[in-house]
Amino acid sequence: MKRYFETYDHGPLRFFDEVFSKEGTPRPHYGKLLQRFRQFSQEDINARREIINIDFRNQGITFTVYGVDEGIERIFPFDLIPRILPAKEWEILEKGLLQRITALNEFLFDIYHTQKILKDRVVPAELILGSRHFAREFVGVNPPLGVYIHVTGSDIIRDGEGNYLVLEDNLRTPSGVSYMLQNRQALKRAFPAIFGKYKVRPIENYPQELLRTLQEIAPPGRFDPNVVLLTPGIYNSAYFEHSFLARQMGIELTEGKDLVVNNNKVYKRTTRGLERVDVIYRRVDDSFIDPLVFRPDSRLGVAGLINAYRKGNVALANAIGTGVADDKVIYSFVPKIIRYYLGEDPILQNVPTWLASNPADLKYILENLGSLVVKAANESGGYGMLVGPESTLAEQEKFAEMIVANPRNYIAQPTISLSRHPSFINDSELYGCHIDLRPYVLYGKNVTIVPGGLTRVALKRGSLVVNSSQGGGSKDTWVIDE
Amino acid sequence: MLSRVAESLFWMSRYYERAENTARFLDVNFNLLLDLNRITPVENPNYWIALILVTSQKESFDELYPEYNARTVTDYLVFSRENPNSITSCVSLARENARSIIESISSEMWEQINHLYHFLQGTAQQAVHNDPSGFYREIKNASHLFQGITDNTFSRNEGWDFIQIGKYLERADNVARLIDVKYHMLLHETQGKKKISGESDDIIQWMAVLKSCSALEAFRKVYLSKLDPENILRFLILDRTFPRSINFSICAAEDALWRISGSSRHRYVNNADRLIGKMESELGYASIDEIMSEGLHDYLEDLEEQLVRIGEQVHLTYFAYHTPEIEPNGIEEALPFTGVGGGRAIWSQAQQQQQ
Repeated sequence: MKRYFETYDHGPLRFFDEVFSKEGTPRPHYGKLLQRFRQFSQEDINARREIINIDFRNQGITFTVYGVDEGIERIFPFDLIPRILPAKEWEILEKGLLQRITALNEFLFDIYHTQKILKDRVVPAELILGSRHFAREFVGVNPPLGVYIHVTGSDIIRDGEGNYLVLEDNLRTPSGVSYMLQNRQALKRAFPAIFGKYKVRPIENYPQELLRTLQEIAPPGRFDPNVVLLTPGIYNSAYFEHSFLARQMGIELTEGKDLVVNNNKVYKRTTRGLERVDVIYRRVDDSFIDPLVFRPDSRLGVAGLINAYRKGNVALANAIGTGVADDKVIYSFVPKIIRYYLGEDPILQNVPTWLASNPADLKYILENLGSLVVKAANESGGYGMLVGPESTLAEQEKFAEMIVANPRNYIAQPTISLSRHPSFINDSELYGCHIDLRPYVLYGKNVTIVPGGLTRVALKRGSLVVNSSQGGGSKDTWVIDE
Repeated sequence: MLSRVAESLFWMSRYYERAENTARFLDVNFNLLLDLNRITPVENPNYWIALILVTSQKESFDELYPEYNARTVTDYLVFSRENPNSITSCVSLARENARSIIESISSEMWEQINHLYHFLQGTAQQAVHNDPSGFYREIKNASHLFQGITDNTFSRNEGWDFIQIGKYLERADNVARLIDVKYHMLLHETQGKKKISGESDDIIQWMAVLKSCSALEAFRKVYLSKLDPENILRFLILDRTFPRSINFSICAAEDALWRISGSSRHRYVNNADRLIGKMESELGYASIDEIMSEGLHDYLEDLEEQLVRIGEQVHLTYFAYHTPEIEPNGIEEALPFTGVGGGRAIWSQAQQQQQ
């Protein structure tokens, strides 16, 4: 009988393999896991996968794919092999994230107040003032505790040497945390014995920590604040997550039409009349959140919400206008931002980035389209992206035109070296799929980082796109104490 | 409780009940056909038309199918997406409503709805024709299981009461329709005679009505062998103890409405309470002789209309709530009487990208 991992191919050495060293020996923290997996037959694995699939389907742990008519709900693919992070590595990540989030929050506070960093020409003013995510209306507005980014989910990758790099800062409404929680539950159910062999740090307190963070930002004087989650609705791809988090926190899940604003205060419409709302964990983007201020065609938002927020009668998490700092162009300035506000060297490095708005960079980008990854500055979810080595000449020409037409909107990075991790593809074969890591950072009175995060995995041979909308899945992620 | 959540609980429960009732009609009709085969062949379209009449959807059916037979009627009532009241549509709508309030119901309730939904998605039409009873039993059991799970996992709060109102208003309506259609058919078959007959073949049909309400055994315990049409009607309309009778359903809906508003027998605080109280009193003091002399069809039609009005008042009182001075600016009211599913801003919800 074939044993798992007997024939595992480590692939090209320019990628870092999470489980095996370049010499092909297992990394020590994976030892017990490999030992156990080698004892499994294909039937063992199938039986466990079946349990989890039925669970996921019955619980409706699905996501929605846009533009597909039939069966718009899909189970979010879950890979059975967990990703393990030793405590020592996690500590570096934790420190690096704390530093980065602190600096980014100071940056947001600054550009919505005195704009010192622009006056000192560390970040070009036109990048900020010309960004479509810059919310002019909020200059001078003080969010509770001075915090803008209450929930963030930075995307972390590893280069060929295994160094952790930040790929993206998601400072608006990062999703995926419910999969992190569900994955843990599923893995414990499928492999209790393996789980028990490791000292895995728990993550189950995330909903409580999130609720605490939200309560901390309530308007002053509101005792026992009323917190709600605002969702775009059941047809949104992350709806499962919205309802899951609301249930886990025991707060109400509201849609725009459930809320009304009167006299600059926000109320929810209940069977017994209107009830005041103090804090809104909103999973609706800025541009949809208030038809009076932003898109008038939006039916997802609440008319008058922005004014209530400016008056300090309701708190929003995250604050309005945070997108200006997670723009892919601003991203390239984050190391400078960290040095500027904190006077420290960045603990976590960026991926090298060329800005099409910079003429020298633009020339380089156009000459090297075949080897670079080009991204639109304002898109997310893997949309609006050109992966050079996998693209056709026609696609490259199309992108070249788009870049020249609107250079401010594009950046390019080297084809990123996402690390690889053995994962099941086609249900049975182990293959080194590319992965990233999205840890979730909560920021209220203090910064809380739940150990681990969501490991996303590109479940197609050789694919570098881990987004669920593009065929990605996820893994349970363990931070272990040795 | 959020008005939207209350509304979705109400419709979730209502659609689930509707799916169960449709399964009941179909199951019993199938059995009945076998019983009556010796007089009228199974192909007799009259039996199948009756099933379409129950749901008041003859026109919509005629647009889709050329004739009435086992296949077309089953397809229309079980699978058709064009038919908003088909079992598949009802279960999908119940699920959509549940999905929109998934954080407000227990995960066990959600799993059960989801399970039934996936069961229907995976059921081929041929499978229903091969084993109709097995299929309908599956639907009925799923509904019973859902009621049981709800009973054991849902807190006895306002939400529970909205679930009860949805269930019992729907049930009262379905039983009224079922009786009305059967009565209509039997009158027709006795060639215009105003009195319904107690002949044995007709009794078999009345027994079928009882069976489709799971009421035959309960009926026998009360009336022993006196299986005549008036007793059957008395039982299905006026009995206070049998959980699928109209009177029982109205009492249960009334209890739930009163618990929400704090109304009582001598004092009502809104129109929904007033109308249901009135209906309950009328049922409580009605006699079957009076009903028959007034005309059963008119009586049932009036009852169905009253049920619609109660539904409207529940909507206005609890779901469409806003104070007159605070008009929700630029927000369209949800379409009444659908809960989730009708014409919502799907495009707009979906176009927001995920980070």
